[in-house]
Parts: sequence; structure tokens; C-alpha cells
Amino acid sequence: MFELSTNVASPQQLRRGDFSAYDALYLGDFSCLNYPGNFSADPESLAEAVDRVRALGKKCYLRLYAVPSNHDLPALRRVIEAALPLPFDAFEVHNLGVLQMLREMGCTKPLHLGVFGNLYTDATARVVKDYGVTRVYPNPELSLKEAIYIRDHTPIQVLIPVHGKIPLVVSETCFILEHSGANPDEKCTFPCAKDHWLTRAAGDWSLKDTGRMTLSGSDLCMLEHIDALAAANLTAFYVQSHGESSEYIAAVGRIYREALTRAFSGQPLGALDDSLRELAGLAKMGLCNGYYFESAGRQYVGRA
Amino acid sequence: MPALLAPGGTLEMAVAAIDEGADIVYVGPLGWSRRPYESEMTDDDIRAAIDYAGGRGRQVRVVLNTFPSPFEMDDLIDKVRLYDSWGVSGFIVTDPGAIALIRKVLPGTLIHVSIGSGITNAWDARFYKALGADVIILPYRWSEIEITAASETSDIGLEVFLFETVQTGKICPGKCIMSSYLKFREWLDIEGKDQFFGSANRGAKECYRVCQVPWVFGSDESAPVSLKLRRDARLMLEQLPNMVGLGVECFKISGRERPTAMIRDLVRFYRKVLTSIGDGTQTDMAIYADELAVLRLRWNVEKRMRVGALIERADGYAEAARFAATS
Repeated sequence: MFELSTNVASPQQLRRGDFSAYDALYLGDFSCLNYPGNFSADPESLAEAVDRVRALGKKCYLRLYAVPSNHDLPALRRVIEAALPLPFDAFEVHNLGVLQMLREMGCTKPLHLGVFGNLYTDATARVVKDYGVTRVYPNPELSLKEAIYIRDHTPIQVLIPVHGKIPLVVSETCFILEHSGANPDEKCTFPCAKDHWLTRAAGDWSLKDTGRMTLSGSDLCMLEHIDALAAANLTAFYVQSHGESSEYIAAVGRIYREALTRAFSGQPLGALDDSLRELAGLAKMGLCNGYYFESAGRQYVGRA
Repeated sequence: MPALLAPGGTLEMAVAAIDEGADIVYVGPLGWSRRPYESEMTDDDIRAAIDYAGGRGRQVRVVLNTFPSPFEMDDLIDKVRLYDSWGVSGFIVTDPGAIALIRKVLPGTLIHVSIGSGITNAWDARFYKALGADVIILPYRWSEIEITAASETSDIGLEVFLFETVQTGKICPGKCIMSSYLKFREWLDIEGKDQFFGSANRGAKECYRVCQVPWVFGSDESAPVSLKLRRDARLMLEQLPNMVGLGVECFKISGRERPTAMIRDLVRFYRKVLTSIGDGTQTDMAIYADELAVLRLRWNVEKRMRVGALIERADGYAEAARFAATS
């Protein structure tokens, strides 16, 4: 009927989190190879993790590092080689060079194109489909209309983020470390564990910085539009939870699971005020969804 | 002899660049090339630029380096056929799907992969070669080490900006959509599009350079600091002889948004430098250092003015939107 997924960076998060609301998990943090226990960087953690996720009855996808430099490629190959014989349902790839590498390695695993793969057109979707990509995460700038067009005209499954901060930028170096005064030759002490914000008073702008990724300040929220998403026959939905707490992941999952279940069984969504209030309470800088409705990303469009 | 590729933000700039010795000029059609409308050309001006360049044995590349909307791919191919019929020598493109389509429609044309592709390693170059591209522009932050790796991993032609920066900060362009998250404007009549909303990545909606204005950065437990999000690149010189030796076939001056006089002087300078490297008369770049220092200073002044103008424009759209909402 539908699939609700989210991301889990490390074994610690997998053990501690409540993912009961989710049908699938994307393992790994694609933005930072140094993140503690990062599945995307630790081949030895993968076998146990995928078994654990599959034992929970969920699909399991492995995220590959999004912006590998040449010196990252050997370690990336080791992750891929360790993961290939394991029962991952797919690998998520952002980098087109890695897509080429996977083809030349003879990878037959289904692939998902991640958010930094810059998927804007059905023409590009056909190119990557030829490489074994079965699902695409459209660039967040695309409207819902455009995402649906790509789904229908490629054709290919599209992943629709429904909640969480929008990934806007990725970096090859860590912005937080660069501005923390830390000695770059010393081991990282993970100052990213604390929330960092970029704000600008003029224009009331806010962004969240997690070091190697900059996210929207506001949380994308499509709760009021779940019935429209179901009516459009979209089926793969995602909660972007990078840097969020276990409580956030569980609460958001619960709310969207309930809404999606109602929508896909033809029931009205009903009153959403309490759920919206709870989601807004979890969003320090408020809610947004403007890109889906052909506006600046930080705008919020509610149900008419 | 490596080619010098220069910007043609206007017909006047394209003519000046050709007159000063650029081998290739690149021009962007209104609404299709990641620059505001004042740095793009009408089709009439593009044709004039092609004719002017062709009459002097030079080339024009048309820049179609936005990420198009999926709804406008037919329009993009119509444009490609039109410019090809006028004698354009090739295209500068970002979207992989667009590259594949152009290669299919025009098997013999030359395709450059634009900087918007956001490549990070040598295998990216291999991907684009497999896709049918002929040349790829390498990021500012790549040095001779990365250039060597790219040439060993793929036989795609290599193009380098005449700018350098350090590997730091956000990857731009190609992996950044901050501008459109914060600010959007409608298409204007001048761009000839009225259907789709877009962004800096999609043409005609400016990147407001939000990374280059002061932001306050910090956590709840640290004192906030004021900073910019990205370091500026600077004009390059010392590396050029090595890069020519490594097989870089094309050097690019960016700057369709700069004044014509700035571009004219940059083309004149780099024509002189590249010719002296290419014919072996000069390998010590130190003799050009003073002249470059003056050009760098001028470039920084022009860039700051441009960023200021774009931010002011962004704030103006905010005011217009607020007024519209309350009217």
C-alpha cells in the first residue's frame, strides 16, 4: 500500500530508537564519514545491522557517501564490497561517479538515487534507470506536479519526503569544525552533537547546520496534504530525521503512519490540529513545504 | 595550444572577448543559463554572436546549464536544434538527461559538462564521458593532483576555470539550493517563460548569493559569531604551465555578470599568458604577477558590488510579497 521510511546513522541509534512506525530504514549518514559508528563508513557493522532491520520486518537500504573525493573512493569500495553479499534491499547513491563505479563492479542490487543526485527531469531518471536505479529522491526544488510527472513519464518510483528538515547543501569539509577553533589535525570531538543554527535577522532567515550538510531551518510538513498524496498514487514516503532525537523520530513516525493509514484506506484525515501542534512543537523554527507548491521552500501552505 | 573560453553576458561582451583573442565565447539564452536576464541574450543576439565569431574563425558555445523542468525538455531540444542550425559549435549543459538527449539529437556536436554538475571525484568524469560528453569543467578547488586523477580515469577533455580556491565551505554550484529555499520570484516577461517556478539552478531566478552575506552562526552553548558561508575564489596564474602540461585543453574565464571592460581586460591578459605558455616563450609566471594583482583587486570590487545588488533585489522581492499579501 505505502512505505514510510526514515534514516538511521549508526548501530547506537538503531538500538535506541523506536522505529515501529516505519516500514523501511536507510542506514548511514551520507554526509559525514567521520560520524561515530556511521554505517556508510563501517563495513564491519553492516551484517548485524541488516539482519536486525530485516528481523523487524522492515526493508533495509544502505546509504553511500554523497560527495566522495578521490581519496575516499578506496574506503567506499570496501563498504560496497562488504554490502554486496548482504540482504540489503537497495543501495542509495548520490554521486554519479559512484553509480558508474557500481556498474563497472557488476552490481545488480537495486539502487536508489539520493537527494544530492540532483534529479530534476524524467530524462535524467531514464539515464539513471539504465544504471539500475529503481527509485529517485527528486531534488527538493521540484514541485509535486513535477515529481509526479517524472514518476509517470520515466516511469520510476519517486520518494516523497513528507516531514523533516530539507537538505539544502552538502560540503566536503565540516563547517562546524572550521569555525569551532579546533585544531584540524586533532581527532574530531563531534561538536555537531549540539544543534548549530545559521540565522539572519534581515529577512528572518534560518538554516540548520550539521557540519557537512546545511538543512532548512523549518521542518517540511505535509501532514495536511497526505490525502492528496495518496490520491496521486504516490506510495514511497520519507521522514528526513538527520540530527533529530529518538523522540522526534518516533513521534513523527506515529503521526504520519496514522495519517497515511487513514488516507490509503479511504478514510478522511479528520481533525489534525493536535497532530500539527505536536509537530510544530518539535520544530524549533516552524514548518514549511513551499517547494511542493511552487514557492520558496520556507513558505508553508496549509490545506485550503 | 589550449583554448581560452570567455563569457558573453551581452553581445557587446562577446564581441569584446573575441576581439581580445578568446578562442570560444559562451553565451546563455534568456531563461536557460543560470544567470539573471541582464546577463543572458536574446536569440537575435546569439545569432549575431555566432556570425561575428564565425567570421573570425572563433567558436560560440551556447549555455543550457540550468536544470530544466521536466515539462520543458521539448523546448530545450527545440532551442538546441535552432542554435545548431545557426552554426553554434557546441553546448554547455548540466542535466545528465539533457546531455543524453542532445547527444542523441546532434551526434556530432560538442558537449561541455557545466560546473553545475557538482563533481567531486574522477569517476564523475568517467560517468559523463560514458554519457556522451566531450569536455568537463573541473571545480575551482581541484589542483594538479585531481586533474591527474581525472585524466587517468577517463579520456574526457578537461577544462579548468582560471580561478582557484581552497577545499572548504559549501560545494557551489551543483549541491546547493539555499537561495531558493529562502527567496523566490516569478518569471518575468523578458525571460519568455510563464509556466514553471524555478530557482537559480533552473534559470532566470537569480542565485541571491546568500552564502556571501553575513550570517550569525552558533549553538545554544557557544557564543554566536558573524561569518560568511563561502570563501571567494581568486584569479589563477602560477599553476597554468603545469596544467597545460597535464593536458588541460580549455581554460575558462567566468563572469557573464561582470562589466564588459573587466572581461575585456581579463581576456587580453590570459590570451597573452596562455599564448606564451603554449608557444614555449614563457614558463615563469612571476613576470605577470603585478598585472594579475591589479586584476584581482578589480574583480573583488566588482564582485562585492554585484552581490550587494543581488541581495538588495532579494530584499525588494520580500517587500513586494509582503505588500501583495496585505493589499
